[in-house]
Amino acid sequence: MSSNGTGYDLSVTTYSPDGRLFQIEYAQKAVENSGTVIGVACKDGVVLGVEKLIESKLMERNSNQRIFNVDYHVGIALAGWKPDTRQLVNKARKESQDYQSFYGTKIPAHVLTERVAMHVHQATMYWHLRPYGVCALISAYDEQGPQLFMVEPSGTSWGYHGCAVGKAKQAARTEIEKLKFTEMTTREAVKEVARIIHLVHDPVKDKDFELELSWVCDESKRVHQLVPKEVKEEAEQYAKEANKDDDDDDDEEDEDEELVDSGAQ
Amino acid sequence: MDAIKPFDVVQMNPLKELSKPHSMGTTIIAIKYRDGVLVGADSRTTTGSYIANRVSDKLTQVHERIYCCRSGSAADTQAVADYVKYYLSMQSVELGELPRVKTAANLFRTLCYQNKNHLMAGILCAGWDPIEGGQVYSIPLGGTLVKQPFGTSGSGSSYIFGYCDVHYKDDMTLEEAEQFVKTALTLAMQRDGSSGGVVRTVNITKDGCERKMVPWTELPVFFEG
Amino acid sequence: MSNLNEENYEEERGGFVFDNVTRNMFMETKGYQAPIAMKTGTTIAGVIFKGGVVLGADTRATNGPIVADKNCSKIHFIAPNVYCCGAGTAADTENSTALISSKLALHRYSTGRQTRVVTAMTLLKRMLFKYQGHVSAALVLGGVDLDGSHLYTIYPHGSTDKLPFVTMGSGSLAAMAIFEERFKDDMSEEEAKSLVHAGISAGIFNDLGSGSNVDLCVIRKDSVEYLRGYDQPNERNYRTSYVIPRGTTATLSSTEEVLSKQLIINELDDRMEVAP
Repeated sequence: MSSNGTGYDLSVTTYSPDGRLFQIEYAQKAVENSGTVIGVACKDGVVLGVEKLIESKLMERNSNQRIFNVDYHVGIALAGWKPDTRQLVNKARKESQDYQSFYGTKIPAHVLTERVAMHVHQATMYWHLRPYGVCALISAYDEQGPQLFMVEPSGTSWGYHGCAVGKAKQAARTEIEKLKFTEMTTREAVKEVARIIHLVHDPVKDKDFELELSWVCDESKRVHQLVPKEVKEEAEQYAKEANKDDDDDDDEEDEDEELVDSGAQ
Repeated sequence: MDAIKPFDVVQMNPLKELSKPHSMGTTIIAIKYRDGVLVGADSRTTTGSYIANRVSDKLTQVHERIYCCRSGSAADTQAVADYVKYYLSMQSVELGELPRVKTAANLFRTLCYQNKNHLMAGILCAGWDPIEGGQVYSIPLGGTLVKQPFGTSGSGSSYIFGYCDVHYKDDMTLEEAEQFVKTALTLAMQRDGSSGGVVRTVNITKDGCERKMVPWTELPVFFEG
Repeated sequence: MSNLNEENYEEERGGFVFDNVTRNMFMETKGYQAPIAMKTGTTIAGVIFKGGVVLGADTRATNGPIVADKNCSKIHFIAPNVYCCGAGTAADTENSTALISSKLALHRYSTGRQTRVVTAMTLLKRMLFKYQGHVSAALVLGGVDLDGSHLYTIYPHGSTDKLPFVTMGSGSLAAMAIFEERFKDDMSEEEAKSLVHAGISAGIFNDLGSGSNVDLCVIRKDSVEYLRGYDQPNERNYRTSYVIPRGTTATLSSTEEVLSKQLIINELDDRMEVAP
């Protein structure tokens, strides 16, 4: 134990002398290795988008799902260590069902988020547990309108208008901040989300990817679902065109755009 | 068992009648009207043939704008209402808003269904919430949950099904609703030996709850033979 | 039966064990007379007056047809400002009031506040409800707290009523007849005492399960007066006193023996050292 802080990264239950929990930070690294996931809340719904990196050319399409239905009105998109993501989806679904059967009403998004966050946080409190290497974006549309939440490996959770996690989160957040998603419709937002995912993907460094898009909006009757095929194709078309244009006049800068608070930590 | 010994002849158990479970041979009613809901009940609680309380309050508040009318065993319904009261207060703190009547009714249903073998509870749950307005739910003995425009329960209710079916209208005014409830309860109290005393009502609207009590001297008079 | 296993048996010792119910029922069909718990066929009552609460009780405890105790005390202490009359099985009323009283004492130590009557009521009803009527305690709970005077009845199954005047026990009908006739709102303390006295007396004289004396307990805002034996209408007037003069029994013979001969006294020298 030569320098300050060495040897304090083996246990989640021990703080380092400068007050950090290294295991949680490592869990956050696990999330950063993952393909980018973004979410935006709009006027009439919420859109989630995932850059699904293709691990193997032999893999079936759609066999590595990253966006899930939790309840009719709730969806979840996950970035990070895959087996952990499945565990968390199960937990979210169970909490949603339990709430529904106990109170007889659908679970409010903030309550679900809080309960999932509690569960994630629990894993940072015991020596015999490993923190979740997962970031979860929870989208929902209920009486309280369209909502977006993010749960981090530390167990913290906040509400957002827009957020991004994974490999290219910084670039994606900057892109989200340039637009006013809260004044957009989901139809428009789907295209922009597709554009951002395509934009932040580095075809040179990164593996090939598949785009996964979901929405919960008025058009989908407030039910969370994958974006219909035609809409998705249109969005990807738009994304490719826009990014091609962007490449053409690369030096165009738009710093004067009013920044929307993305709530980035 | 059958052979009576001299000892048994003198043995008396004066408490036998009074130590029977406390039950509310009851008439309760809840109806939805224009501005909310109106709930009503008689005030008789009996142990066997003795009236243990002639001015009981069977209308129990479980949250700001949600009431339940209790019929069956007093102990059981009080216990169930206490649990619902607790769960609703916890939920409303978590959500920071008024709980829904549907939620309250569902809690009653869950408790009554899961403990159906140990409970004697017929409950009407009624109230107002900002999302669905005034609502009436009935949770009869087995623990099923039924949403109704109006509900009646208790031993006296069987005497007034006819009256209620004939005179119930959608979208009544408060005055009409009060008249309906008062008449129905009076008719039941006159015919059912286990119902009686005064009529208690609570009017629940978006603005709050208002209690009323009608002494038996001021109840309407019908055929008395 | 698995719970006869010693460890489990130890674990489940609290509360009631219903293992022998079937056996006992079978034995009764064969003519076995099961022992009966002592029931206090009782008159207990309470009234709210202007400045507080008056509780009253008779003092007869019965065991079947036998009067087991002619002067028992049925008004139990719950908290300095709360008392409770008990009817039903004497053991159950005594133990449940004592248990709740102790819980409330701990509650007072931890909160530093006066006990509220509702708290006592809630603890009692929860306990009685839990035991589904098997704890036969029918109670009249009264007291004064920061919200004023409160009077409750608590039934063995765990239901409660809050009323300005209440009666319980086998003599409750007799006492209630008096109360219904004479109760008024906002009575003076003397009026209230005389009303409860009359109610309990009605029980004593008209109910076979009640008898002997009248106990009262007056709870005011800042004081309590426990009037044990407030009225003794059933004193024994005639009592034979046996005076047997010395020498009534003739002495036929006498012997004398010196006891010290049989005593061995050990002198202990090294006494414990005592601090100066």
